[in-house]
Amino acid sequence: MGKKVLVVDDDPDVRLFSVTVLEENGYTPLEAANGEEGLKMIKEEKPDLVILDILMPRQSGIRLYRELKTDKALKKIEVIILSGIAKKTFLRSQKALTEFGGEEVPEPKVYLEKPVEPEVLAAEIKKILD
Amino acid sequence: MDKILLIDDEPDILRVLGISLRADGYEVIPALNGAEGLQAFSREKPPIVITDIKMPGMDGIEVLEKIKALDPNTEVIIITGHGDIDNAIESLKYGASDFINKPVRDEALSIALARAKEKLDIRQKLSEYTTDLEKKIESATRELRRQTNFQIKLIRSSNDGIVATDQDLEVVIYNPGAESIFGYNQNEVIYKMAITELFPPEIADQFREALKGENGMKDIAWRETAIVARDGLDIPVRFSGTILQENGKEMGTVAFFQDLREIKRLEKELVKSERLAAVGQTVAGLAHGIKNILHGLKGGSYLVDIGIQRDDTEKLKKGWETIKRNIGRTSNLVMDLLSYSKEREPEYDACEPNEIVNDVYELVKAKASENRVDIAVEPDDTIGEVIMDGSIIHEVLLNLASNAVDACLFDEDVSKNWQVKLKTEMEPQHVIKFEVSDNGAGMEQEVLQKLFTSFFSTKGHRGTGLGLMVSRKLVEEHHGKIAVTSQLGRGTTFTVRLPYRTVEAGSPEK
Repeated sequence: MGKKVLVVDDDPDVRLFSVTVLEENGYTPLEAANGEEGLKMIKEEKPDLVILDILMPRQSGIRLYRELKTDKALKKIEVIILSGIAKKTFLRSQKALTEFGGEEVPEPKVYLEKPVEPEVLAAEIKKILD
Repeated sequence: MDKILLIDDEPDILRVLGISLRADGYEVIPALNGAEGLQAFSREKPPIVITDIKMPGMDGIEVLEKIKALDPNTEVIIITGHGDIDNAIESLKYGASDFINKPVRDEALSIALARAKEKLDIRQKLSEYTTDLEKKIESATRELRRQTNFQIKLIRSSNDGIVATDQDLEVVIYNPGAESIFGYNQNEVIYKMAITELFPPEIADQFREALKGENGMKDIAWRETAIVARDGLDIPVRFSGTILQENGKEMGTVAFFQDLREIKRLEKELVKSERLAAVGQTVAGLAHGIKNILHGLKGGSYLVDIGIQRDDTEKLKKGWETIKRNIGRTSNLVMDLLSYSKEREPEYDACEPNEIVNDVYELVKAKASENRVDIAVEPDDTIGEVIMDGSIIHEVLLNLASNAVDACLFDEDVSKNWQVKLKTEMEPQHVIKFEVSDNGAGMEQEVLQKLFTSFFSTKGHRGTGLGLMVSRKLVEEHHGKIAVTSQLGRGTTFTVRLPYRTVEAGSPEK
């Protein structure tokens, strides 16, 4: 069994894409369809990597990322953001939340804007996990 | 100084009287007989003549006659001898002003002269007065004519259509402005048509009732309405009217029409260009939508590639389905874009709004219950069959209802019992209110502001970002209004108000 990677995205097409890339490259994919479910699975399954969407029902990727990175037990888990939202927008939202009285969170290691070639995603995953 | 012609055949009298008159300040022209006197009269034109009655040759009566013939305004005083009453009376017949007896006394002479002068003065004043009056009448007539011409020109050159009638509602004034609105020529209308044939019935009735004093109305305030022109086209106009009165009695009507065709056209153009600008400005939003679809297509073809390489039918099938789904999303986006940027006239037909709401309910029910959202319909049962564009109601409500379910889906407060409500309500003035409310995520002020005008989605792959822009456009094309209230974390209510006509009346009011 390869390393566990959790895909959090409400779009089944995107999940299918990421899951296939993971399977093809020998990782064990897990799926969550929204932020709430995603956080639950992170806590239960302790995956090695999370591939995270931003715009989702039931807690957005922005919140999930923040909760992950401010939790002592979970903050080591690596995150790849895969979203239609521009990186600039994501960082601006995080900055706003920090200024609003939150803890500072590090920038995500990898930020990919859709559409993404499977080879590019696979290469980024490998870079982090291998 | 007044001139006096003094005629007497006796040189002594002539001399004595002459001295006396000159002493009174007159200029005296003496003459010893009638012929000489008449000559002097023609030459000097004195206003007063004093003549002896008994003279050889031409006597005083004849002199009087001739002088009166030359100038009837001359005051002629006759000097009569003792017992000359008959002659004196005759002289009065010829228009003598006065007569004095011989021997002439100064007193009698001055009284006669004073009387003559008074008469002359009065005549002078009368003549001046008459001339003055004539002048005044002339200038008043000129002014009146000028004013009438001015008013006729004013009416003719007015851009507004002006139609005036007599008390039988027959048209008496119909200007070129009215020609261009109604499409009839002046000579087809003036004295030939009544406004009951020219105006829409509601306007004609208002005038008729006002003329009869039935509705106590004297002025009909400006309002927007439409008239039907000769070629059967509806012309949008602003209209106002007045009942013309004379001495408190109704004598006719006048109606004013402003042609709104150009304004309406410009308004339409403005709305269209705003919409196109919104599309243009939000190419970024469009690009975002396409990026998501592209990602789906890439994922699909990746799966198909793997399927082909490994001869894996399962992967092939999944990949192909993904591709098909994303082709569907592309087509949704394109259709939304098209229906947003294209002009469309509503197609009014008989429909039952409550039925349409039920159809919408059936369509979103599955998605709602899948996501633990209760959905309910609250129809107003007084709404029956009406004339509206049912497809507009359907499209708008379906969009709003599925948005409402999404709003519950995106709500982070999992403790709520999510509810979506679809309501209809009959409102006054032929309007039906449709309400779609939810108690889901709600929206911030910032989001509310750009809701109807921007290419904008907070729903990721679930929306094209155009739904509400399309809804607003459809509602406005149906001459209705769409509004929204929302509170973050509490829910959102969309209200759509659309005009309708009853099945008997035909297409809805514009």
